[in-house]
Amino acid sequence: MLTCKEVLDSLSDYLDADMKEDIVNEMKKHIGSCSDCRAEFDTLTMTLKLYKHEQEKPHVMPVGCHDRLVKVLELEKLRSKGAPPPKMV
Amino acid sequence: MPAVTDEELVRRSKEDDERAFGELVSRYESKVYSLALRMVRNPEDAEDVLQDTFLRAYRGIKSFQGASTFSTWIYRITANSALMRLRKKQLPTVSIEDQDERETPVNIADWTPGPVEQLMTQELQHEMDEAIDALPPEFRQVFILRDVEERSNAEVAEILDLSVAAVKSRLHRARLKVRNRLAGYFTDTEKPKRRIMGAH
Repeated sequence: MLTCKEVLDSLSDYLDADMKEDIVNEMKKHIGSCSDCRAEFDTLTMTLKLYKHEQEKPHVMPVGCHDRLVKVLELEKLRSKGAPPPKMV
Repeated sequence: MPAVTDEELVRRSKEDDERAFGELVSRYESKVYSLALRMVRNPEDAEDVLQDTFLRAYRGIKSFQGASTFSTWIYRITANSALMRLRKKQLPTVSIEDQDERETPVNIADWTPGPVEQLMTQELQHEMDEAIDALPPEFRQVFILRDVEERSNAEVAEILDLSVAAVKSRLHRARLKVRNRLAGYFTDTEKPKRRIMGAH
């Protein structure tokens, strides 16, 4: 029988299904019968769900970001070819 | 016509084909920006990381050996650049090796029942952002790559040049930290509470 500490230390692996089947069964059994560990499991699971839900929103690059990147790379190309840096206005 | 592979574009870039490098930029700039923004948390810094990443890639492409894929390589540069920026900002500097393994809240609200959509409020979103902000940079990297970008432990390990065991250890502790922060938020609400015990 796993102790609470063993269960808590292994919760991430359990959530990620990254453990052997016999340990998974032990974890299931413990979490099913221990309300404290079940609360740990439930809240950790919900935490990850919240972030997954929130991060499904795409991040769009700001207007002009691509052009500024291209400009920076063009200046680097000139610099690497030994051209003098452009005069700053 | 099949798309040109990253490997082919890298090969051409090494031969000073600037259009090929431009194509790599086009393919990866939004992904790099997105990862950078998740790590540094504001658009100005994310754009700096984006530019720094591709500058480093441009300068280093000839020495890129192809031991990893181009995508892993570019994300590694991004993660390192973001980490440098976070360190400069003096974000939480807790030693990642010296922290308690157990980080159990004393009380936690019973906030798990119900769908995510019902729990999600602007205030909670702000708290979630704060929870990530409060993570030491090395924990933040792992949490974002693994739980937000949903990469595998092996890929995160390769990007961050860590062992898989180190990734798993940091991930577990990062998750607990974030969860505890959210637990504190819910504990402060009027919702019913459920006690969480420490290890016993």
